[in-house]
Amino acid sequence: MRRLLAAFALACLCLSCSQAEKPKQQVTVYMYSEYIDPDLPKEFEKQTGIAVRLDVYENTEEMTAKLQHAGGVSQYDVVVVSDHQVPVLAKLGLLQPLDAAKLPNAKNVAEQFKSPPYDREGKFSQPYQWGTMGLIYRKDKVQATEFSWALLLDPEKQPGPFVLIDSMRDMMAVAFKTLGVSVNSRKPEDLKAASELILKAKRSAKCLGFEGGVGGKNKVADATAAAAIVYSGDAIKACEEDGHLAYVIPKEGSIIWVDAMTIPAKAPNAEAAHKFINFILDAQVGARLSNFNRYATPNAGSLALIRKEDRDNPAIYPSPDTLKTLEYLEDLGEATKLYDEVWTTIKSR
Amino acid sequence: MGEGTLLALGSILWVTLLLVLPLLVMVALAFAQSGAYGEIRWHFTLGNFRRLAGFSVLDGSWSPDTLLILLRSVWVAGVTTLLCVALSYPLAFFIASRSRLTRAVLLGLVIVPFCTNLVVRTLGWRVLLEWAGLYPGPFAVFVGMVTSELPFALLPIYAVVERLDWSLVEAAHDLYASRTRVFLHAILPQTLPGLAAAAILTFIPAMGAFVVPDLLGGAKYWLVGNLIQQQFGVSRNLPFGAAVSLALLVLTLAGLFLLRRHRKEGEP
Amino acid sequence: MRSRVHPLVGLLAVVAFVLLYAPLAAVAYLSANATRHGFAWRGFTLKWYAGLLEDSAVLEAARNTLVLAVVSTLIATVLGTLLAIAIARFPWPKGVRRLLDLLVYLPVVTPDILFAAALVVAYQFLRGISPLFNPGMLTMVLGHVAFQIAFVALVVGGRLATLGRTLDEAARDLYATPFYLLRRVTLPLLAPGIAAGAMLAFTLSLDDFVISFFTAGPQSRTLPLYIYASLRQGVHPGLHALSTLIVLATVLLVVSLEALTRYRKD
Repeated sequence: MRRLLAAFALACLCLSCSQAEKPKQQVTVYMYSEYIDPDLPKEFEKQTGIAVRLDVYENTEEMTAKLQHAGGVSQYDVVVVSDHQVPVLAKLGLLQPLDAAKLPNAKNVAEQFKSPPYDREGKFSQPYQWGTMGLIYRKDKVQATEFSWALLLDPEKQPGPFVLIDSMRDMMAVAFKTLGVSVNSRKPEDLKAASELILKAKRSAKCLGFEGGVGGKNKVADATAAAAIVYSGDAIKACEEDGHLAYVIPKEGSIIWVDAMTIPAKAPNAEAAHKFINFILDAQVGARLSNFNRYATPNAGSLALIRKEDRDNPAIYPSPDTLKTLEYLEDLGEATKLYDEVWTTIKSR
Repeated sequence: MGEGTLLALGSILWVTLLLVLPLLVMVALAFAQSGAYGEIRWHFTLGNFRRLAGFSVLDGSWSPDTLLILLRSVWVAGVTTLLCVALSYPLAFFIASRSRLTRAVLLGLVIVPFCTNLVVRTLGWRVLLEWAGLYPGPFAVFVGMVTSELPFALLPIYAVVERLDWSLVEAAHDLYASRTRVFLHAILPQTLPGLAAAAILTFIPAMGAFVVPDLLGGAKYWLVGNLIQQQFGVSRNLPFGAAVSLALLVLTLAGLFLLRRHRKEGEP
Repeated sequence: MRSRVHPLVGLLAVVAFVLLYAPLAAVAYLSANATRHGFAWRGFTLKWYAGLLEDSAVLEAARNTLVLAVVSTLIATVLGTLLAIAIARFPWPKGVRRLLDLLVYLPVVTPDILFAAALVVAYQFLRGISPLFNPGMLTMVLGHVAFQIAFVALVVGGRLATLGRTLDEAARDLYATPFYLLRRVTLPLLAPGIAAGAMLAFTLSLDDFVISFFTAGPQSRTLPLYIYASLRQGVHPGLHALSTLIVLATVLLVVSLEALTRYRKD
């Protein structure tokens, strides 16, 4: 009996130990996987003495769910959020306003990102990276002069095993663009047509299923798949490492996105969060970031320090012609529920 | 009696607060609405069940998909149970017929995969099946399900086989019964309780499986577990998730009920 | 009679063992294979294992897994044993007895995912009362204990049933107080059952994926959760090395537990 009580006491002790605060200061950052140069957190720690703890997600919906339902709002200090979710999270009271006084480097941000449509007053966010979504493919498996989303969605044109993207808004956007409608359409007939298009592709024997951008890119990189839907930076990085790969934005167009840094409403260490955001907004750091992950930088100060090949690369910094075919995703309000149901149908049928 | 209550109080509170009450809340949740951004709106609605029955929120049209998932889960669970029991039965006899030391070793060999984490085992199948070109797909899911549930089926069957009363079998032999009749009348009836336990212990986890279909099915072969996982996670639709969970509970109980009835009829 | 077995039975037994071990063997093979992709053998290497030691995320996940298992097992063993004793050794009215039995069986028969869903719902509401119930180690321990109690109670209850009541009555005839009875008679006799229940609870916790998945916080990720999350970025040899290590650890665990039970039984 005594032994049991001792064991019980030991258990409580262990539990309290594991819940105890770490002696060192820490900032917890939540962003897409493979999105930051691993040296940068170490640099931040050297400069400020605050350790960086990185947690990753694979798609936007996962991130929003974590913040809303899984207590992420009080466990993360900095969350990188897709543009269309910023107003949603703000409306739900999950974000806290940023203290401009603590972000002197915010002056580096390029003009067009200073008061973006998703955060007019620039109250809740600072831009992290921006980019596009497109197709990564193996040059030996895909011979085409003109690239269209039909390469994936049309069973007759599928070149080999392919991967669709496991993100509701992004995958629907691909289908919408193929149909020639807006990626923010709320019309039930558009949704229905899009879901049928995606289902047809999914049912093909060549479809390897849905993966996040990084997962799809990795499958193409190790030759398991011939093509996948990915985000620009991931693709460019892979193409650099392997000459057999190439990235393209199909002719029907695609989405252009901005990822923004935000601070959750109940962040454990808002002070450190501001320091981290300010650190990323530094011109040098911004350049190192984009030179590593090959996404486009919203930081005007960093632009001069970006590799010339990247600045001239239309896959990273799209040409004006391409820009015309790119659309921003917007918050859908009540229509989100329709999308949710369509997406569940696509995943489950 | 008061002391008894005191002793049991901790456990009673724990399980009630964390399992019983939430299950009851889930029943209520299934009739609630979900907001546009994943909030719960406590207005009574049958919308979740309508959606479960297959009526689209988009345009009210009916499609059999959600019901298909439920049926598919029952089908997969049923086939998995059958295959597991069918494979475990001879395996149990094989182990029971070995020497004491060999028996201990073989049982240990069965228990190791049983104790190894499901994710690790499924990862192994994923690489194997990918190399064989059979990933992703229904076949992969079945392979993963059967091999993950196999030890669950084996152990209860082995427990009865080990205690088999061989004198009955010898008696049947002495009465010049054919091999088949010996099996059907002297061996099988004795092992039925073990078979029933194995079936139950396999069917229940199989009904709720989501790791195996997720990792081996590639989103092309969804079961109820995946749907629940999605609704409670990415879709942030707790009311619909609750409705699907209730459906799972009902189906599992129905399956168990049928099994028990069958067992009662099969008992000598 | 016992050693004569139909050859088909033997064949099926072999098939079963192959099925059980094929995935583990494949993972072990790949963990020592000096190539990132593919099955072709490119030479023996231990670099994937070495990489694990430097990966702080893996080490933290391993620590979390162990802490979770140890803490939850300790709590669940205490509570489950007390529950089993309470059910078996005290007179209950029939209705209450049925309820208690239901309480013990419910966590066992509920599919994992339903259990996890119930926990998510419970924590949703509890979180409004206190931020302690944010996903994290506490919520995971609470969840694990909830299902471990039932298994411990079942195992200990089984052992209690075989013990019988004669010793109890003898002790009472000798004017022993119930507490003395519990401490000096029942518990020592139950010790093997308690140990077995604890081992079962420990294994169940280590093995668990579903409940951990729905209750873990960012800092309390366990090894199975880490592997699952990594898999979504793609399969890479570090995962194979980690998985093989887990299998080896499991083998060690099973062997040592077997040895312990044999020792206790004697």
